Amino acid sequence: MPGKSFFIDTSLCMACRGCQVACKQWNGLPAEKTVNRGTYQNPADLSFKTYKLVRFEEVVVDGKLKWLFFPDQCRHCIDAPCEMAADDPRAIYQDRATGAVIYTGNTKKLDTEDVIDSCPYNIPRAAKDGSLAKCNMCIGRVKNGLSPACVKTCPTGAMNFGSRQEMLEMAKKRLGKVKKTHRKAKLLNPDDVRVIYLVTEDPDLYHKFAVASNSAFDISRAVALKRLIRPLTRLTASM
Amino acid sequence: MTNHWIDIGNSDCILIMGSNAAENHPISFKYVVKAMENGATLISVDPRFTRTSSMADIYAPLRSGTDIAFLGGMIKYILDNNLYNKDYVRAYTNAPFIVGNAYGFKDGLFSGYNRSARKYDKSKWAFEMDKKGVPKMDRDLENPGSVFQLLKKHYSRYDTRLVSQITGTPEADLVKVYKTYAATGATGKAATIMYAMGWTQHTVGTQNIRTMAIIQLLLGNIGMAGGGVNALRGESNVQGSTDHCLLWHIWPGYLKTPRASNVSLAAYNRKWTPQSKDPISANWWQNYPKYSVSMLKSFFGENAGKRNDFGYDWLPKVDDGKAYSWLDLFDEMYKGTIKGFFAWGQNPACSGANAGKNRKAMANLDWMVNVNLFDNETGSFWRGPGMNPSAIKTEVFMLPACVSFEKEGSITNSGRWMQWRYEGPKPLGNSKSDGDIIMELGSKLKEVYKNKGSVFREPILNLKWDYTTNGMYDAHKVAKEINGYFLKDVDFPKKKKSFKKGQLVPSFAYLRADGSTSSGNWLYCNSYTEKGNMAARRSQKDAVNKIGLYPKFSWCWPVNRRIIYNRASVDLKGQPLDKNHWVIKWDGKKWIGDVPDGGWPPLGSLEKPNPKSKWAFIMRKHGHAQIFGPGRADGPFPEHYEPQECPIEKNPMNKERMNPTAAVYGTDADAYATCDPRYPLVGTTYRVVEHWQTGLMTRPQPWLLEMQPQVFVEMSEELARLKRIKNGERVFATSARGSLECTAIVTKRFKPFKIGGNIVHQVGFPWCFGWRWPESGKEESANLLTPSVGDPNTRIPETKAFMCNVSKL
Amino acid sequence: MKVTRRKFMQISGASAAGLAVSGLGFDLSPVRSHAQMLKTKHAKETTTICCYCAVGCGAIVQTDMKGDGRVINIEGDPDHVINRGSLCSKGAALFQLGENENRLLEPMYRAPKAKKWKQVSWDWALTQIAKRVKKTRDATFARKNDKGQVVNRTTGIVSVGSAALDNEECWIYQALMRALGLVYIEHQARI
Repeated sequence: MPGKSFFIDTSLCMACRGCQVACKQWNGLPAEKTVNRGTYQNPADLSFKTYKLVRFEEVVVDGKLKWLFFPDQCRHCIDAPCEMAADDPRAIYQDRATGAVIYTGNTKKLDTEDVIDSCPYNIPRAAKDGSLAKCNMCIGRVKNGLSPACVKTCPTGAMNFGSRQEMLEMAKKRLGKVKKTHRKAKLLNPDDVRVIYLVTEDPDLYHKFAVASNSAFDISRAVALKRLIRPLTRLTASM
Repeated sequence: MTNHWIDIGNSDCILIMGSNAAENHPISFKYVVKAMENGATLISVDPRFTRTSSMADIYAPLRSGTDIAFLGGMIKYILDNNLYNKDYVRAYTNAPFIVGNAYGFKDGLFSGYNRSARKYDKSKWAFEMDKKGVPKMDRDLENPGSVFQLLKKHYSRYDTRLVSQITGTPEADLVKVYKTYAATGATGKAATIMYAMGWTQHTVGTQNIRTMAIIQLLLGNIGMAGGGVNALRGESNVQGSTDHCLLWHIWPGYLKTPRASNVSLAAYNRKWTPQSKDPISANWWQNYPKYSVSMLKSFFGENAGKRNDFGYDWLPKVDDGKAYSWLDLFDEMYKGTIKGFFAWGQNPACSGANAGKNRKAMANLDWMVNVNLFDNETGSFWRGPGMNPSAIKTEVFMLPACVSFEKEGSITNSGRWMQWRYEGPKPLGNSKSDGDIIMELGSKLKEVYKNKGSVFREPILNLKWDYTTNGMYDAHKVAKEINGYFLKDVDFPKKKKSFKKGQLVPSFAYLRADGSTSSGNWLYCNSYTEKGNMAARRSQKDAVNKIGLYPKFSWCWPVNRRIIYNRASVDLKGQPLDKNHWVIKWDGKKWIGDVPDGGWPPLGSLEKPNPKSKWAFIMRKHGHAQIFGPGRADGPFPEHYEPQECPIEKNPMNKERMNPTAAVYGTDADAYATCDPRYPLVGTTYRVVEHWQTGLMTRPQPWLLEMQPQVFVEMSEELARLKRIKNGERVFATSARGSLECTAIVTKRFKPFKIGGNIVHQVGFPWCFGWRWPESGKEESANLLTPSVGDPNTRIPETKAFMCNVSKL
Repeated sequence: MKVTRRKFMQISGASAAGLAVSGLGFDLSPVRSHAQMLKTKHAKETTTICCYCAVGCGAIVQTDMKGDGRVINIEGDPDHVINRGSLCSKGAALFQLGENENRLLEPMYRAPKAKKWKQVSWDWALTQIAKRVKKTRDATFARKNDKGQVVNRTTGIVSVGSAALDNEECWIYQALMRALGLVYIEHQARI
């Protein structure tokens, strides 16, 4: 499988949130008005202005307290349901070289609900004008040989980026090591996405949408239909 | 830091206690993680489970203010189980020294205590000397009067059961931490301690660090790669500003501020230059006069000479025995004795303990000069909460400084690395660099003091003030002055070197006490030489020992030595104790690796040391690291005392509840409350990664404010249930001194402590808020709660342990 | 992906033309980073050290040399041997410290009992400050203490700050304060 991938090793994430800010800086995204809701997690959720969000969860596993951090972002699915739901390469397309799933201003012409519902990871967010936004893999940086802003800024090696082959190898190697101390460690949907997470606990403990649920992948008949005609779409996109 | 950031990656065990590095020094975790990948264990000890704790192999909670009990227990564990590194302890520390008979310890007091003066007579703790005036020693550590035996006796009381009753740490956790950490007493292993204000901001702050230093010495961890005692300094240049001594008690390079009794330069040098009778002791401070005279030459240039004692009398003297520290300064301001105030790049309306007292104090001033990047709670104190502007006479000048990347100059990081930075954009708007503001103010002052009727104008007129180029402040000129110049042609026949007038001094070994050299700060002599600006170096090449020293990347004091006390990293033959991460090594003729603590050959043996050699700890008068520290105000061994405000009536360890020498204050704003039902909760303060210090530089930034928008109080689920407080609701926090509204974070990360059979609850507040930003005006400083009481050695306020309450609005 | 600073400069200075048009053959301009990459083409690059905690991380400041001369981008310096290009949330926000509408840009003065700030000139402010210093110093200066020892000091003026100054600024600042005779000189190190 060509193209690029991320490997996000949550066992090394300390929630410094450098990635969250670096994303805003590079992409010129404004801050949101927030309040403290009894958690460090802020903004409360992803939004049209927030492509990257570190999620915080306090859980007790086997009598031991864990503070779990999950740097959430678009997974850049290999076969992106949102792209299929949109079925309009002028609005949502996959960059061929990297595999980045890119949204354009034309997303405002789409049935945004349909696109949002299609995402098994609950990522796309709509602006008031109806256009959609999410992580763009810092495509401009990547095309110039730089890593995405979030990866560049990560101090501990939690965020990684490179060729898909390289990232898959890194993920597997790392999983082998982490499993020795964290029996439940696993990679999340590594075959389906370009943003591969390693978690040390049950993924649901991090975030409801950490891992794609079957129901999420099967949400709409529209998407199912589009899947059927996928080869054609792909053909169009690569013309 | 004795070591530096990259070196953390060489460690076998990392203890993070009294700091929260993942949140306050996040990039350090690049090296914490590296060490862990290589098998190191990370231990987090903190009252609250933090982002650091989330990364740790072992987490142990403790009640704020009980670190000496916790660590004293570790000393006992190390000694009881013979886990100390005997070769190291007997060769490099003062454990073999014999303490005089006048020393004693009983009921929580060391000998020599004067209760009315709240002071010790430290002469009671002196070492026994031989006929030559060298300390008597028993290198076998068996003499009952030896430091080692006294140490054993002192900590015999610190058994894990008693420690656990004081700290609230479960005994099993204590033992787990002790066992893991003490394993690095093995030769070739090193553990490091990463601490910060969580240790210093206590009435026993100095002794917290002393306790850990004793542990590091017992385990042979000082001087080693991956070891040391590492203070994680919290501000980008707080190391440099300390080195250059923006502090009442020291002159640049840690020289002493002269006392009134130091009546002449000769008397001053005599008083502060230590004398050793031991020929094997380097006693480096014997060079003191070279540094003081060179500094005076930098102050006053050609106006200073032997004829006028190098201008010694032009500089102010402090009264013997009196302190002029932060707490004292605001105490005086509160009492109204101070008229003028410079608050330069600092926000004391939020940053100081008992902030309410400090804010009220400011209203007593005639004038204030406030220099900052943003309008702030200090400059605008007169329009803050509870203030009536029309009743406040203080004139305020608020001057706009530019940001760090709009000017050129150097800063010194926590690892002592001096790094040069450059001007990107020009200063925004009409803001100016601090350097330009200082230079212009200095010139204006010289102007107004031209008038002959002025009071004592000599120091102002004679101050060397030629640090501009084309009318603008020139950081290079100052950097060279700090390094120092030869002021005459000078020969050094022994070193076979000679220098011309006007050349930069290559290192402090060439400074002289006769006025032929200048150096604004001897510690930085070697930083800007004829070879260029050392701080600007960028070489990626590591040193021969490959332990991440990067000797040609920037520059570090002293003389680019990256790991200090490195003479203690080798055996008596000069061979490294840790072969894998060696720091220095004797190759038969010279040292290789890091810049050694002096070029003298190895000791050879302890009984008959090579007469050309020197003991390892060259900055100590007797050449040995101090397990017994007779210079401290509150005792030669650390002892557990409760904080000034605490939840228990009796100290379970001894009869003195609090540090009997702590600095306390007595104005009506200095209320203290112990075992007071109105304030039943232990409180502490801390920072978050998203804000910095009082938050003045981060709260006006939308991206950072977005992540941490409001001041909060963290509390356990158990306490929240008792108080019927819901997560996320606004609550009211109070102490004997002040109050603030904050958002409750009800969390599993705080747990109630079991202290001597009772349940004690603790809460914590970030101190990085203030009313000016965000513009709602409702987010206030947690320092409104904290007490103005200080450590007797440093007078650092005890903001990390106090009593408070939290209630529903 | 390992990018050294040298490579970083080459890349960010390189034309990103061709990006605006992808293989699809139509404009994909909403991807804002494309435009940003083009902006950095005209940037001056300077290195800096982060101004927050004392780890001393390196960052690269990219300043627009064509437009308003302001900062376009700041990110970690990949050649800095400590942080190797990484920065925490505060470091990653450095751009917003400089380019911030809340910054103080003019000297301000608050008169006794006034309710508002007044904008003043630098020259006026510094002249007035020098006069205040002289007045207070001369009125409170002590040549000797109670014991008759020479002290040559004023306890009527105090100074706090600053660890936010550069080394060289700290040195001249302490020299000036000590020459004035101040003994109450403190800063962040003690709090």
